[in-house]
Amino acid sequence: MSTRAESNSAGLGRRDFLATAGGGFGGMALSALLADSGLASGFNPRAGQASHFPAKAKRVIQIFCPGGWSQVDTFDYKPELAKRAGQPFDPDGSLQFFASKPGACLPSQWTFRQHGESGRWVSDLFPKLATCVDDMAFIYSMKSTTALHGPGCFMMNTGQSQPGFPSMGSWVTYGLGSESENLPAFVVLPDPRGLPPGGIINWGAGFLPAVHQATTLDANNAKQPIADLFPPKEITEATPENDEAGLSFLRKLNRIHREERSGNTELEARIAAYEMAARLQLSAPEVTELHGESEITKKLYDIDHPEIGPFGRQCLLARRLAERGVRFVQIYCGAENTTAREIRPNWDSHEDIVRDHGYWGAVLDTGASALLKDLKSRGMLEDTLVICTSEFGRQPAAQARKEGDTGGRDHNAGAFTTWLAGGGIKPGIGYGATDELGFQSVDKIVHSWELHATALELLGIDHERLTRYHNGLEQRLTGFEGSGVIRDLIG
Amino acid sequence: MQTAEPMRIALITSAFFSLSCAQALLAKEIDFESDIQPIFLEHCYDCHGPKKQKSGLRLDLRTSAFRGGEEGTVIVAGKSGESALIAHVSAAPEDEKRMPPREHSKDGLTGDQIKALTKWIDSGASWPDEFAGQDERLSHWAWQPVTEKETLLPENFTANPVDFFVRRKLEQAGLTMSPEADRRTLIRRLSFDLHGLPPTPKEVESFVNDPDPLAYEKLVDRLLESPHYGERFARHWLDIAHYADTHGFERDKRRDSAWRYRDYVISVFNQDKPYDQFLREQIAGDVLSPDDSEAVVATGFLAAGPWDFVGQVETKSPLLRRSARALDLDDMATQVMTATMAMTVNCARCHDHKLDPISQEEYYQLWSVFAGVKREERVISEAALKEYESQKETLMEERDRLDFEIGRREGKGFDLADIVGGGNGLGTGKFRRGIDVRSAAVQEREFGRLGNVKVNQFKPSKFAFIDGVVIPDGQDGKAEIPVSSTGMTVTGLPSTSGEAWDMIRNGPVASQHSNELSGIDFTKGGHSLIGLHANAGITFDLEAIRKASGIEEMRFMTLAGYFGKEGAMQADVFVLLDGKKVVELRGLKRADGAEAVDLFLPASARFLTLLSLDGGNGIGHDQVGFGDARLKPERPARLTPKEQALLTQLRSKKSSMEEKIAELGDPPRVYAVVPEEELPEIRLLRRGDTESPIGAPLPPGAFAMLEALDPNLGSLETGQGERRVALANWITDSENPLTSRVLVNRLWHWLFGQGIVNTPSDFGLGGDRPSHPELLDWLAGEFAKREWSIKSMQRLLLTSETYRQDSRFSGESSGVAVDAGNRLLWRQNPSRIEAEAIRDAVLTVSGKLNRKRGGPGFETFDYKEAYAPIYTYETADEPALWRRSIYRYLVRTTPDRFMTTLDCPDPANLTPTRMTTTTALQSLALYNNEFMLLQARYFADRVEKEVGSDPEKQVTRCFALAFGREPSPEEVAVAREFLKAEGLFLFCRSLFNANEFVYVD
Repeated sequence: MSTRAESNSAGLGRRDFLATAGGGFGGMALSALLADSGLASGFNPRAGQASHFPAKAKRVIQIFCPGGWSQVDTFDYKPELAKRAGQPFDPDGSLQFFASKPGACLPSQWTFRQHGESGRWVSDLFPKLATCVDDMAFIYSMKSTTALHGPGCFMMNTGQSQPGFPSMGSWVTYGLGSESENLPAFVVLPDPRGLPPGGIINWGAGFLPAVHQATTLDANNAKQPIADLFPPKEITEATPENDEAGLSFLRKLNRIHREERSGNTELEARIAAYEMAARLQLSAPEVTELHGESEITKKLYDIDHPEIGPFGRQCLLARRLAERGVRFVQIYCGAENTTAREIRPNWDSHEDIVRDHGYWGAVLDTGASALLKDLKSRGMLEDTLVICTSEFGRQPAAQARKEGDTGGRDHNAGAFTTWLAGGGIKPGIGYGATDELGFQSVDKIVHSWELHATALELLGIDHERLTRYHNGLEQRLTGFEGSGVIRDLIG
Repeated sequence: MQTAEPMRIALITSAFFSLSCAQALLAKEIDFESDIQPIFLEHCYDCHGPKKQKSGLRLDLRTSAFRGGEEGTVIVAGKSGESALIAHVSAAPEDEKRMPPREHSKDGLTGDQIKALTKWIDSGASWPDEFAGQDERLSHWAWQPVTEKETLLPENFTANPVDFFVRRKLEQAGLTMSPEADRRTLIRRLSFDLHGLPPTPKEVESFVNDPDPLAYEKLVDRLLESPHYGERFARHWLDIAHYADTHGFERDKRRDSAWRYRDYVISVFNQDKPYDQFLREQIAGDVLSPDDSEAVVATGFLAAGPWDFVGQVETKSPLLRRSARALDLDDMATQVMTATMAMTVNCARCHDHKLDPISQEEYYQLWSVFAGVKREERVISEAALKEYESQKETLMEERDRLDFEIGRREGKGFDLADIVGGGNGLGTGKFRRGIDVRSAAVQEREFGRLGNVKVNQFKPSKFAFIDGVVIPDGQDGKAEIPVSSTGMTVTGLPSTSGEAWDMIRNGPVASQHSNELSGIDFTKGGHSLIGLHANAGITFDLEAIRKASGIEEMRFMTLAGYFGKEGAMQADVFVLLDGKKVVELRGLKRADGAEAVDLFLPASARFLTLLSLDGGNGIGHDQVGFGDARLKPERPARLTPKEQALLTQLRSKKSSMEEKIAELGDPPRVYAVVPEEELPEIRLLRRGDTESPIGAPLPPGAFAMLEALDPNLGSLETGQGERRVALANWITDSENPLTSRVLVNRLWHWLFGQGIVNTPSDFGLGGDRPSHPELLDWLAGEFAKREWSIKSMQRLLLTSETYRQDSRFSGESSGVAVDAGNRLLWRQNPSRIEAEAIRDAVLTVSGKLNRKRGGPGFETFDYKEAYAPIYTYETADEPALWRRSIYRYLVRTTPDRFMTTLDCPDPANLTPTRMTTTTALQSLALYNNEFMLLQARYFADRVEKEVGSDPEKQVTRCFALAFGREPSPEEVAVAREFLKAEGLFLFCRSLFNANEFVYVD
């Protein structure tokens, strides 16, 4: 059956049915059901066709730092910029950035040093991450198609600057299904402060079946980490005790209803979905319950620190989710729609790079380094691909409010750094380069398309074959403009 | 959308090329057939022919060859020097642009071949008609004219032709139709299909027991005539228009007037407005009938999709603006063409369409149609606005007059915060409205730190009771700060930072730390607040107030305080009477709480001034407030019984006046389109890149693939309005085969759960093929005959036997073996109802559905203004929020999670087909969501009220309401047992979760 006939609502096609039933919550109850309806031998909807070659990575943890982080203050060492400190960046005044005309050259606000055996440069903003460089690969030559936050976030998540396209996590789970029987395949941990630019469609499924959209996990709500997991306590008539009685009655009603409709397999899938929901009620709180973690681990992630702790907790949860077979976890380090005013709610440091990058750098440094170390010590880094990125970079020139002000930096779609770790990447390397000031990527330019293609390759997916028909086109995550997998990044 | 690989014209070397032959050719005149086409055929067509068009170049068709590719023109007749074709073939072998590329042909073309091509071009590139080539894609079924299918019907055929066409296909496959469904099934199916609501038990019984042989037809007619019909079908159309009530993108701002377009669509379906008129109004209603509010509102269609405020307005970078505008135009053009003609034109943005005969140039000619408009809120018509304003003014004047009369008699005094909000001091002001300290202008928007600040300049206000405003800076006591329009000044005030933030507001300032001080929330329960961020001052005109109120001696009373954060932050507060300091509160902190001020104002006092100063540190937290600031008469009036009675009368008059004002609502505006000041030029953008325009400006145009229609829509001189009218006419032309086919297919899709063409918004080569091509054309022809009446077409489909078939089937049915996907319709398709229908059905069954129609959308979220606004969802538990789902206020960045979980699509996407998935999260949402549980409670209360506590009666009633039928004896037995053990609430909750509740047979 062709993919397009499957999108109608009544005659659900086979692959959709399987994706529907198995993509989110594969499981034993379901394999029985599928055998029963003669639909498939396994529960993973695309295992056969999508694992195009042996996978090096089984899962992905992605850290997204919204707002646009500065490459020249973090990972992209530019001594020439320091030499030109205070000199005009754009002498003939021809440039116009997102919100300003360029000020003078503004060198890194943190000292750069070489670290590890690989000798990769990292600024003092990240003292802890600096100790992990031999496990990391840096892409210095990232570029986006836009310097606007909303479209930029869409671009890095979906490969398109327009809203409404499936996110990378959706594509991955669409391609590979779930590894877990009891947890959703794609989980997102938004910043506790609020949503990133563009909102929840950053982890939406677009035109893929809704089962592939991310499930939001609320790390601060141990009782109800997933929305509607349990009835609210205000409704006293619904208790955990009568829960099972209600479900068992529901099962009886549905069985009677199904007798005359045996041809409609969706009805059976819906019965199974309630069983899976019941399993989720057990497995989700178990994930967020951190009692079992050692004090050393908790300290590593610094989860009780008032500022750094919340992100550390997200990182720890990501590891726990990955451990339990969740295919794709996305963590946000920063938000957008918040009323917090004291500092910027994300990396968007227009007016005070020291204040805002200083704050967010410390947050990311602890959580991300803890995650890498923890994964490594558990032997999980080998098959867990960690990706850390922003939607774009910042300008090497100052965006100063007035003369003499250190100020901040404006948006820069022309260059930024993304780093990867684990999951089969070549560790300790740097790929591509920006110009001498870190203004534009010039060597081996990478867009989201190549980054995504490489990640899919590591997961065993041929990015050109992971497609779905929509609006006149066999759509894919990696678009049609990219140059495909970056072989140099693969170990 | 997509861009091809880098420019690479690959030519294949021919092993058999004969040099001597080529030399011989050069001696005579170049002939296309014998000299040029063979070169193309042997060396170019592999990559630039019918199969592949690398870099968008196709050389086997004359038109495409002369049009060129992504690089632009490649053959310039008469000028080989300007022809890229020659440059490519004659480039050095190691040059990347050399064609054919080295890997295909080491040596490339011979010198003589190049000479032949050069000579051909220089002599005019003559390409005779007989070799112009035929684009095989043009024979695709969808572009062909709709042909008459009436003749296929048997003679004197009186039954429903729909069934004739469906049966014919079934017979060919050896299948037959399923029997007709029973009446209970039919009324439930019809109610959900036509209204998106379940039938009431009464409606079910009366239909089941109707002896009339035409009972079914009567039911169809009744349902088509109900206003709920429009509410149902508008939702389908809004999916295609990706309608929502906010912009989307980063700053997801509100579009509070967008709902008028939603209401327009509902009314179009209800009045059965001819479909061609519906389309013309949506594309160009503002031009066709500028004075007709409805036609103007219709253009909300063009503006329905997302729009990037930051990219279009906020950024200072022209490049970013151009690219945001490009997304915007692409969105508009794509929406119009997929909705009306199922053409995926967006695929031709970066290069010619990969599958369909749509050139990139044509795509940009479509841009040229829309380039003259932008999305914006606008009045629905000047006349309507005038009418509205005069009505409102009359009502407000009367209300204000009554207010005054009441205020005088009540002696409550005047609320100064209300005056700041533009009111009369008695409650007519607008909460949170502000006065700009720099100019005294009125502002609704929120501000942060203000630019262009000039200290110590008094700006008079146009409000009668406010004299003016000032940004004070005492300059260490030296400055003479003007505090009245008559030139009064004050000295002896401390220095300030000279900064100013936000506005002086009726209510809290922007991002105020807290509205509470000393345990009082000044925004609640009859309290009021003047918020004024340091540094700011405002002077009230006591004389004007005295004159209006007739009160001579007054008292000024207030609770002043520091509303910013606790800690070391502080501010100075002063109250002046005619420029003299009468109250001084220096170094006020949050910890000091609210300071009570009570001041006598003699009849001679002219100006009262309130000042807040930041003490020189100028931090953003210096939020000063005057709580419950009032002017009260020194001696309260004593009322005679007669006056007391009059007062009562005045109060009731006032409240009725207020109701009338509320009914009037917001000004008659709609989020739609307005003309750009200048009509911008549109050029083809190489690879869709806004920074790489090529060629001449493009006139507006449509698509050449439809032979019967002229794609020319005007010239460069054609105005923006006329361009859209021309496109609207082209789309609705009776010779256009797509528009009618696409619509009848949608109607089919909405009633059968699948289309005759299963890609309802793509009729191109990449789309589905029709399962019943003859039926599709017959329906399209019939649609035209019935003057584009949608209801008439739906009546035809609904009364067919095909529609009325049973949907239940066993896995062993012969149809499953032959046609598992049911494309041939050997049964009806059962359907899982959509998110909106689930929510509406729950409300109907619980008895809580609020059937109020039209108007602004209801909001199930708490809205908070911020740089990126914050929408926080709350459980809908009051009648105003129990309206039908079509009236929800739709937020793009933060959709209602409950609805999204139930497969409600994201309005960023054009959604021709709803997806149905089954997930554990859906089970959790229906089983545990607070809305669902509260509704289960109401459902239980309702049933108990209606039939009492007898379990048997309760079960029967619950089944009738939820499923429209009686329970079977088996079900009664199971249900009674459960009811006895767990009670009615849990029983109702289970019914809401049952498969039968969400599936329609």
